[in-house]
Amino acid sequence: MLKNMKIGLRLGLSFSFILVFMIAIILVSLNQIKVSQTMFDRIIKINNVRLQLANNMIEQVREVSINLRNILLLKESSKTLELRNKIDSIRNQYDGDFNKFERLITANDTMSFVLIAKVKSSQEASRLLNNKVVDLAMAVKYNEAMIVMNDQAGKAVSIWIKDLDNLISHNVDRGTLLYLEAEKAQVSARSSMFILGTVSIALAILISIFLTLSITRPLNISLKASDMIASKDLTKDLSTFEKRRDEFGAMMQSFNRMVETLREQIQEILNGVNVIASTSSEILASTTQIASGSAETAAAISETTTTVEEVRQAAQLSSQKAKNLSDNAHHVAQVSQAGQKAVDETVEGMNRIREQMDVIAQTVVRLSEQSQSIGGIIASVTDIADQSNLLAVNAAIEAARAGEQGKGFAVVAQEIRNLAEQSKQSTTQVRNILNDVQKATSAAVLATEQGNKAVEAGVKQSVQAGEAIRILTESSGEAVQVSTQIVASSQQQLVGMDQIGTAMHNINQAGMETAASMTQAEDSVKNLHELGQKLKELVEQFKM
Amino acid sequence: MKKEIRALLKMRAAAIAKEPEQKSGNSDSYEIIKFTLASENYGVESVFVREVCPLRDFTPLPGVPSFILGIINVRGQILPVVDLKKFFNLPEKGSGELNRVIIIRDEQMEFGILADTVIGTKVIYREEVLPVPPTITGIGEEYLNGVTKESLIVLNAEKLLSDKTIVVNEIVTQ
Repeated sequence: MLKNMKIGLRLGLSFSFILVFMIAIILVSLNQIKVSQTMFDRIIKINNVRLQLANNMIEQVREVSINLRNILLLKESSKTLELRNKIDSIRNQYDGDFNKFERLITANDTMSFVLIAKVKSSQEASRLLNNKVVDLAMAVKYNEAMIVMNDQAGKAVSIWIKDLDNLISHNVDRGTLLYLEAEKAQVSARSSMFILGTVSIALAILISIFLTLSITRPLNISLKASDMIASKDLTKDLSTFEKRRDEFGAMMQSFNRMVETLREQIQEILNGVNVIASTSSEILASTTQIASGSAETAAAISETTTTVEEVRQAAQLSSQKAKNLSDNAHHVAQVSQAGQKAVDETVEGMNRIREQMDVIAQTVVRLSEQSQSIGGIIASVTDIADQSNLLAVNAAIEAARAGEQGKGFAVVAQEIRNLAEQSKQSTTQVRNILNDVQKATSAAVLATEQGNKAVEAGVKQSVQAGEAIRILTESSGEAVQVSTQIVASSQQQLVGMDQIGTAMHNINQAGMETAASMTQAEDSVKNLHELGQKLKELVEQFKM
Repeated sequence: MKKEIRALLKMRAAAIAKEPEQKSGNSDSYEIIKFTLASENYGVESVFVREVCPLRDFTPLPGVPSFILGIINVRGQILPVVDLKKFFNLPEKGSGELNRVIIIRDEQMEFGILADTVIGTKVIYREEVLPVPPTITGIGEEYLNGVTKESLIVLNAEKLLSDKTIVVNEIVTQ
């Protein structure tokens, strides 16, 4: 029956049962306590008060007696009056206390009524006697008063006090009685509470045993099941353990679901771990490659950095060179201006040379003409010499024919022939000289012609040179501008190269950091790989 | 200068004046007219030479052998001119404008021979004239007297004048 009851309900029932017992015990004990309480209340609030009041009354009676005696002792009317007033006030107190006492008497206490009536009668008697004493004292009859006092009033007062003592003793007896009753009630209450408590404790123990059993047994079962899960055994179907409809049944079912879910998840984890293992292997390979690549990159960046540094130095050099070039260009511009001036002067000089050459050419032509006329003269002289020669030959022939007589003539003919020969030789020499002169003149003509042409060409060339130098001047002006720009841009280039240098330095650092990071990443991936392997081993420990 | 020339002339005159005296006793010497033909020196005995004249104008003759240059007019006398270069089959070089004509003659014949230049008269001895060496070809030996040491070829004028091949005796038939 308990098997199919929910634990909450079970606990509720058990605790409500115990609660009911406890409430019963509390109610009973409260009732008993109340009873004994009223009894003790009566003892304290009524009996004790009554005792107090009775004692007070005795005291007051004594005080009155003392005051009376004082009156008699002092024997002064003034004092008597004063003491009489005092007695009156004490009597008032006594009356108040007496009334209180009367009111406190319970109805069933018949003995008290009797005793009170006795007190009342003795009180009245003594009061009368006392008043008589006072009156006598007031009338200054102290002796008489003393007599009354000693003979009558004293006796009356002692009776009165006796009656009051009786009342007190009665009250004490009654208090004792009441105390006994209360004690009896308390004992009965204690016993009833003990019985009730024992019963309820026994019941509670029983209930707790049952309850504990009903909870621990299925808990043990579920503990076993969870132990199985803990020992990585997921093979058993926990739903077959016990068919229950309480929380434990639900728990077993949920365990079962958990195991199934675990099984699925572990399967998935296993797949995932396999993937992680393979992937981490690939990543490891990749990171190793990347690490080596980044190391190479770092090296390359270092090389590039040094190259950039070299380029920067080259740029510095080129900047200096560009500055030199600019200076040179300035110099060239000045030189080319000077060159233009020189060329202008050259053109002028060439023109002068041309005029001179024209004069020379005219002179040479005249010389040529004159040498030709000399040639004509020489030709005629040669002709004459020839003819003379022939004449001499003929004369020689004639002389030979004349024989001995012609011998002298032959000598003359020979002489003439020699002269003709000499003149011919001279003309030949002259002709040779003339030929030389003519050659020289024609060479001079040719030279002047060539000189003219050369001067013409020189003029043309000097004009061209002037033009070229003018262009050169313009170009050198432009070159000055351009070289200035080059200087500026090379300066900028230098600055840029500096920036590139610092950037390359940064890149170098970044590359080295990357290489270090890649090494770390490699280690991390190695760890990851090991983790994957470990996970795989862990997951493979599950039996399914 | 004039003194030097005069001294020179005097020396020459003395030299020329001496020669005939030395050679006068020697009967086997004779005078020749020395001339050049195709760069070679030739000589012809002056006894056969009438005169030397320059070749000014000549008239070529049609229908004659090629060695007949033409005819010239020497002071009214018409004379034929023979080109010995063609006659002797010598090369045609060395002919200038100032050609000379040496007119040779004997009792039967009179004609001019063409010379490049006439150098002058020279007296040579017979023993100086050596026989013609066989190296000289083309020129018929019969027209030569010999060769001197100065490679002067002495022509046989007598033979030339009497040679029948020079005589042109043809009738041009129309």
